[in-house]
Amino acid sequence: MASAALHLRPLVAVLVTGGLVLGACFGGPSTPPNQTTTVGEGQPDPNGELITNLGSEPDTIDPHRASFVGEIAVVMSVFEGLMTLDPKTLKPVPAVAAKEPEVTNGGKTWKFTVRDGVKFSDGTPVTAKDFERGFMRTCDPKTAGDYSFVLYIVVGCEKWNLMDVRKSSTAELDAAKKAVGIHALNDKDIQFDLTEPAAYFGSIAYMWVGMPVKQESLDKGGERWTEPATYIGNGPFKLTSWKHNENMTFERNEGYWRGAPKLKKWTRVMLNEGAVAFAAYRGNEIDILGVAAEDLRTIESESDLKGQLQDVPGSCTYYIGFNAKRPPMDDPNVRLAFAKSFDREGYIKEIQKIGAAASAGFIPPGIPGYDKDDQTQKYDPAAAKAALAKSKYSGSAELRNVKFTYASNSRTKTRVEWLQQQWKANIGVEVVPDPVDSTAYTQLVKKQETTPLMFILGWCADFPDQQNWLTTVFHSSGIAKTGWKNDKYDDLVRQADQETDKAKRDGMYQEASRMLSQEAPAAWLYYVTGKILIKPWVKGVTTTALDSVLSQFRLWAVYVTKKG
Amino acid sequence: MLNYVARRMLLLIPTLFFVAVITFALAHAAPGSPFDKNPDRPLPQATIARLERLYGVDRPLHEQFVLYLGNLLRFDLGSSLVKDRSVAEIIGSQFPVSAQLGLQALFLALAVSLPLGVISALRQNSGVDYASMAFATIGTTIPSFVIAIVAIYLFAVNLKLVPIVGWGTPRHMILPTLILSLGAMAFLTRVTRASMLEAIRQDYVRTARGKGLSEQMVIVGHVLKNAMIPIATIVGPATAGLITGSFIIEVLFNVPGLGREFVLSITRRDYPLIMGVYLLYAFIIAVANLTVDILYGLLDPRIRLK
Repeated sequence: MASAALHLRPLVAVLVTGGLVLGACFGGPSTPPNQTTTVGEGQPDPNGELITNLGSEPDTIDPHRASFVGEIAVVMSVFEGLMTLDPKTLKPVPAVAAKEPEVTNGGKTWKFTVRDGVKFSDGTPVTAKDFERGFMRTCDPKTAGDYSFVLYIVVGCEKWNLMDVRKSSTAELDAAKKAVGIHALNDKDIQFDLTEPAAYFGSIAYMWVGMPVKQESLDKGGERWTEPATYIGNGPFKLTSWKHNENMTFERNEGYWRGAPKLKKWTRVMLNEGAVAFAAYRGNEIDILGVAAEDLRTIESESDLKGQLQDVPGSCTYYIGFNAKRPPMDDPNVRLAFAKSFDREGYIKEIQKIGAAASAGFIPPGIPGYDKDDQTQKYDPAAAKAALAKSKYSGSAELRNVKFTYASNSRTKTRVEWLQQQWKANIGVEVVPDPVDSTAYTQLVKKQETTPLMFILGWCADFPDQQNWLTTVFHSSGIAKTGWKNDKYDDLVRQADQETDKAKRDGMYQEASRMLSQEAPAAWLYYVTGKILIKPWVKGVTTTALDSVLSQFRLWAVYVTKKG
Repeated sequence: MLNYVARRMLLLIPTLFFVAVITFALAHAAPGSPFDKNPDRPLPQATIARLERLYGVDRPLHEQFVLYLGNLLRFDLGSSLVKDRSVAEIIGSQFPVSAQLGLQALFLALAVSLPLGVISALRQNSGVDYASMAFATIGTTIPSFVIAIVAIYLFAVNLKLVPIVGWGTPRHMILPTLILSLGAMAFLTRVTRASMLEAIRQDYVRTARGKGLSEQMVIVGHVLKNAMIPIATIVGPATAGLITGSFIIEVLFNVPGLGREFVLSITRRDYPLIMGVYLLYAFIIAVANLTVDILYGLLDPRIRLK
C-alpha cells in the first residue's frame, strides 16, 4: 500500500474487505440453508420500488468478465442463462432452456434447446446464436474474463483462451476459435462438446459466463456496451441508468418470459462505508442491509431492528492452510493436531460473531456435498495431543516458533492471535504471527515455492458442485498451493468428476472429502454465513447459499407492499 | 509578466515528465498485480498470466513506459486495468464532482476564516478571539471522519434534515461541503490571525496611523493587504488539495468524486489510473503554485516576477 494512503488505512481496510462483508451476507446452519425467508402477506404495490446497497461500484457488469459478488448480482438481474438453480436444492433446472439438456456421447456432448417466446428486453427473440456468442466471448482471449477457466471443460476453449493475442497470427487465432466445441446448430439448439464427461456442466450452464448477448449491443456499444443504452438482457430486469459511483436503476422487463416481475423499479446505491449504510437503513433510505459484525450488538439491543434481522446462508469456507512440504507441516499428524486443537464454536462466539463453526468438512452447508457427519477435525485437545505425540517432530525444535503468515489488517490480526492462544493452551505449540501487506500476501500464496508455513484463505463456490471444491481447490494441481499431493485423492476426485451415476459420484466425493479432512492440508476454520436487516415491507425474498443480499433465482417474485 | 507565465508553463513539461517517471517507477515497484483482486481468493496463475499478457503488463518496464509516454503525447491516458472504462472517462466524470465540492468548501472556508481571523487579531485576547481559537484548534485536531459520522447521525438519522443516499442537490451537498471545509477553515483562521498580528505591529502601520488615516483604511489598505501574503501561500496548495477530492469525505457521503477513485487505484495497482490521476494532481498543484506566485506580485510590488 502506498504511503500516501497510510493514514487512511482503517477506512481502506473496511473497503477492501467490503466485498467480503457483502459476500459474507450468507447464512447459518442454525436455519435450513436454502429457504424462502419472507412469505407473502400484504398486497404487492404495483409501483413498488426496492432500494438496496451494492457496496462499491462494480468494475464491470459484462457477464463474460464479471467475477465479484456485486458484479455478478447485476448480471444475474439483467440476464438469464440456459439453466438456473432450484433455490431449495441448488441443483440445475431449465430456465431459458425449454427442457433438461440431452446428454449423449457418454456424457461428452450436451445439447440445450432454447424455449419458445423468450425475448430480450428490447423485444427481439433470444436464439441459440446469442448463447453461442455469449459462451464464445468467455473463451475469447480478447475478452479478458476472470472466469473463463470454468469453460475449459469445453473442447478447445482452454487453448484459444490462453493464446497470446499479440504473438499469434489472425489465422492461428481463427483456427483456434473454429476448434472450440460450442455450436448453435440452428436458432433453437446449441451443442457443447466437452473434453470429458463432466456431470457438473448443467451447473455451469446457469453461470454468468454463458449469458446470451446481442451482436447489435456489442457492435453499437463497443467497449462501452455495458452502459444502459446497449446493455440489453433477457432477465427479469433491465438497466435504465448508471450514475457511476452513485447508483444504478433497474426497471422490470415487462416481456420477461415468466411474466412481468412484481417490482416496478429497483435502485441499487453504492454506499461502501458500513456505518453510513447502516445509517441509511435506519433512515429508510435503503430496504435491505448486509449486517457487519460490529453493528450486531446495536441491532440486538433495539427491538424493532432485531425483529428485522434474518440469517442467510453462505457458500464460502475459510481455512488455515499448511505448507505440507515444509517441516513440521510435512507430517500429517502435526497438521491434524493443529486442526483438532482450536475451539471452533468459541471462535465464532468470540471473534467472528457472524458465521458458523466449520465443524464438518470443507464444503459448507447448503452446497451439494456438505458432509455433516464428518467429525475428523472435531475440536478435541486430547486427540490433538495424541496426534502430535505420534509425529516425528514431537518435542523437536520445529514445533517452536511456527510462523503463521496473514494479510495484515486488524480483523485478521485478531483472528490469528486468538488461534495462537488456542494452540498454545491446547497443544503447547508456540505460533508466531507474521503479518504482511495484503497484495504481497496474495503473491505468496499463489505459488508452491513461496507458500507460507501457515496461512488463511477462503474459498467460495463458483457453481454448486463438489468438483468446484474438492478438485478445483485441493487436487494436487488445484488452487490451494499447500504442496499436499495424495495420488489416491487425486484419482478419486478426477474419477468422480467424470462419473455419470449421481449416487456413485456423491459417494466418491464423500470418500475424498473425508480423506482431505484426515490428511488435513488445511484446517477448516469457519463457514461464512450472514445476517441481513430487511424492512417489513419487502416480501418474497428467497435466500440460498449462493445469494449475497438478494435472491438471484427468484428475483421476479420479490415485491414491496406500500411502505409504512 | 506574460513572458513569465509562458516560461513557467513550459517548465511544466519537464516537471510532469519527472512526476511521470517517479510515479511509474514507484507504482510498479509495489509488489502485486492489478489482477490480484481478492486477497482471500486469488485467481489461477494461468489466468493472471493471460491477463497480464493481454494488457501488456508483462512487458519490460522501460518498454511499457515508452509506450505510455507515446500515448500520453497523443493525449491518450489509456484504459483502466480493472474497470471497463477509460482513464479519461473516469477523470472526466468524477473530477468535476470533486472540483465542485472542493471549490464550494474553499469559498466557505475563506468566507468564514478571513473575517474571523481578522476580528480575532483586532480584538486579541477578547472572548471572540478565544472562541475563534478554540474553534480553530478543534477544527484541526478532530479528524474529519469523526465529525462526518457524528454529523450524519445527528442531521440525517435523528433530525432527518438531509438525506444520506444520493448526490447532486444542495441538500445532499451541504454536509460534505461544510465538513470538507472545516479543516481548511480552522487552519486559515489561525494563519489569518497570526499574520494580521504580525502586520499590525509593523512600522508602516504606525506611520499610516500617524498620517491620520482612518482606522478602516489602515486595516484594509495596509494591514490586511500585507497580511495576505502568507495566506495566499497556503490557499494555493489548499485549493489543489480540496478540489482533487477527499477520500474520506467521498466515501462517507457517497460522493462520486475522484479522491476515492484515486486511493482505490493505488491499492488495486491500476497503473494507468494511478498515472492519469497523479499527472492531473501534479498539473493542478503546479498551476496553483503559479497562481500564488502571480498573486505575490499583485499583493507586494516589491516582488517582481522575472
